[in-house]
Amino acid sequence: MPALLEIRDISKTFPGVRALDRVSMQVEPGEIVALLGQNGSGKSTLVKVLAGIHDPDPGGEITVHGSPLGQLRHAREHRLHFIHQDLGLIPTLTAVENLDISRPLARRALRPIRARQEMRAARALLREFGADFRLDIPVKELTAAQRTIVAIVRALDGWKRADNVLVLDEPTATLHGEEVNSLFDAVRRVTRDGAGVIFVSHRLEEVLMLADRMVVLRDGRVVADHARADTGHDGLARAIAGREVRGHRPRACERGEIVLKARSIAGDTVGSVGVDLCAGEITGITGLVGSGSEHLLGLLFGARPRLGGTVELGGTSLPAGRPWVSVARGMAFVPAERQRFGGVMSMTVQENLTLADLRTLRSKRGAIDAAAERREVVRWMEAVDLRPRAPALQLDLLSGGNQQKVVLAKCLRTRPSVLLMDEPTQGVDVGAKSGIHELVAEAADRGVGVLIASSDVKELAAICHRVLVLRSGRVGAECSGESLSEARLVSESLGARSESVYELETVGP
Amino acid sequence: MTTEHRPPKLRSPGQTVVLPEEPAQPDGLGDAGQDGSRLRAALGLLHPRRTSAIYVFIAIFIIFSLWVPSTFLSGTTWKTLLDEQAITAIVAVGLIIPMAAGAFDLAVGSEVGFGVILVAWLLADKHVALIPGLALTLLAGALIGVMSGLLITRVRIDSFIATLGVSSILTAMTTAVSGGEEVLNLPIRFENLGSNQLLGLQYPVYYLIVVAAVAWYVLERTPIGRRIYATGGNIEAARLSGINTGRVIICTLIAGGVIAAAGGALLSASLDAGDPTVGPSYLLPVLSAAFLGSTQIKPGRFNVLGTVLAVYVLAAGVKGLELAGAPDWIPDLFNGLALLIAVGVAKTQRRNVHTSSIRRLVDRSLRRGGDTSAAASGGYQNS
Repeated sequence: MPALLEIRDISKTFPGVRALDRVSMQVEPGEIVALLGQNGSGKSTLVKVLAGIHDPDPGGEITVHGSPLGQLRHAREHRLHFIHQDLGLIPTLTAVENLDISRPLARRALRPIRARQEMRAARALLREFGADFRLDIPVKELTAAQRTIVAIVRALDGWKRADNVLVLDEPTATLHGEEVNSLFDAVRRVTRDGAGVIFVSHRLEEVLMLADRMVVLRDGRVVADHARADTGHDGLARAIAGREVRGHRPRACERGEIVLKARSIAGDTVGSVGVDLCAGEITGITGLVGSGSEHLLGLLFGARPRLGGTVELGGTSLPAGRPWVSVARGMAFVPAERQRFGGVMSMTVQENLTLADLRTLRSKRGAIDAAAERREVVRWMEAVDLRPRAPALQLDLLSGGNQQKVVLAKCLRTRPSVLLMDEPTQGVDVGAKSGIHELVAEAADRGVGVLIASSDVKELAAICHRVLVLRSGRVGAECSGESLSEARLVSESLGARSESVYELETVGP
Repeated sequence: MTTEHRPPKLRSPGQTVVLPEEPAQPDGLGDAGQDGSRLRAALGLLHPRRTSAIYVFIAIFIIFSLWVPSTFLSGTTWKTLLDEQAITAIVAVGLIIPMAAGAFDLAVGSEVGFGVILVAWLLADKHVALIPGLALTLLAGALIGVMSGLLITRVRIDSFIATLGVSSILTAMTTAVSGGEEVLNLPIRFENLGSNQLLGLQYPVYYLIVVAAVAWYVLERTPIGRRIYATGGNIEAARLSGINTGRVIICTLIAGGVIAAAGGALLSASLDAGDPTVGPSYLLPVLSAAFLGSTQIKPGRFNVLGTVLAVYVLAAGVKGLELAGAPDWIPDLFNGLALLIAVGVAKTQRRNVHTSSIRRLVDRSLRRGGDTSAAASGGYQNS
């Protein structure tokens, strides 16, 4: 019996990048195959090649039941079904309506919709997946898992035969605990009649629960392809990262001089916060949404208007609302949401990397010294381990983690005395995350004062010397040394441990 | 080449990451890589995706050479073509400077018109001397740029709307100054600036070469150009990288305003009259050239070479059609189709490569409509 889906020697080259390098894998009937890898490993490219969004380089072959994929697509015989991370549902329509809009209109465009009958059919379909929830409310009011099930049902709707392949791209990114289980039940049900599933994810624990086989991509190549029984968590993690993943708990910080002194900062959700930051110190900021932790750094940097308070950088006070002054005085800011605020997506890696400080590259004639720029960019790409190391690549062609490395390199290149980072590892894979943590630690070792705002308390507990927990716009607690743990940060954020609000002005450890 | 040498920093055993020291070491490899990339860049330039206009030009040339060989192939045709379009090309180059920074300048036609009238009024009616008259005209262009720039960056009116308003005000001022009449009796020395010839070509062709060369150098080769493109590409990211984006936008509008006013002065000189009606008709051709140019040479970016190329390829087509005796409405049709096809083809080709700065610019204007502040969408913008 031939494999349901066979991918043989598929490569895909973008200008300057080999995104896929002779990738081969197969999906047998009834099998759930997990596709694992870091951001930028080629997972998404492979999915896009399967979906026909990218054409692969000539040479390889993709066959479904022995017939080439291109031919099938031409014959409009859809044997591959895709559910992307955003699910592609229309949030304001009900589940029934969402199911309906993907069906062909032929010969019914103007016929009245028979609502009750349609509802019954939809309910029957969903029951097959063990799902029973209201179908007459907008899907945005359903839980994330329920929405995913609607998307699965919609993808399966109208299959003429059972032996098709369903591709799920990061379906659990927004789910938690119980929701994941109900989704997994639905996925297992898909394979019961002989369908195959490709499950793209970077959550290892989940994949070990669900998949029959694990395929790991790294740098566009298949580096592991194991049955579940033959592998374990650590082996997979090594295969994905290509090296040991470890934490970076910093050595105790010797207090250097104070590089940043902020007093009574107010604005947005921040009521009144004071921070002293020493050279070489990594201080974390966390708190629930609305606690002020998401706005504090923008206020310190001068990117957002301040309602009050003063910021002193190296002894002189910084104006609000003029970020270029902050940068010139030695402050750098890695904003959250790199697509919107971090990088210029339409420019190249090189142009982004040097953007914050072009003075040092200016030649005598006032032009940019191209050779010097190139040399410096090459060194920075090396230092932050950028993949691929392609300076002329447009930034939006890089994966999220690598885009973030470019933004970070841009900031570090200005040799700041204070580095502010807002959610620096949001949407970044494990490997890039530990790379970013190493860079931060290295910068701090060289005397940079680092302030990291993050909702990822695990990250803060692992890399910070101390963490300030904000509550209602004020510093609610300060954790350092023994008291700095993930659990403590969570309970402090919730305000469970102490009723009283701490002293407004908090001084370093 | 940097002359300073420092020993490279070695990796110490405990460290996994080494941040580069400044300055970068000359390693010899950079130059080899540079040559390789230059060769690749040169080959890439021949790729039809980046220079389709040149191929279109060749097609136009062949078609009309066969169709109307006696007139199309004559030297005078090409000379007039160069002469006639020089001012359009100058204005178009001026326009792409603010466009590259993300600011539309819909007032460009009225700026030309105001320049035409102002210079004529100063020289003929007010009898101001030539040099001060020209200087005042350019200064007026700069002030118009400052006004548009402040409206966009301080008052936070979207550039589309701000320059639309400025355009209307300038049209009013043009009529007020001229009384709707042509201003005649310009000094002969002034007229000579627009009509004298050097090596068989009129002066404006040489002005174009100078303006284009300077604009190209600044946009492509200097830190200022990098900042302009970054501001146009993502104003928030540029601001947070320490770029004073407000100042960048104002400066580009000043440059654009000065060049448009200079274009107006030249137009006045070459017409030998201050005609209050000619300016606004420049808006659509130069906008088309800017957009068409952004599909050439450096696709996805407004660029000088692409823009000049676009002006002349369109003009060559129109010229050929005129010589072939096509009816009056054909040139407009040709211009419209050429723009739509060029931009359409560029879009389809780039669909896989996500967004271009152009699309973002247009999207942003459409999305924002009346509400212009990025702060409203939760940006880092200070209000």
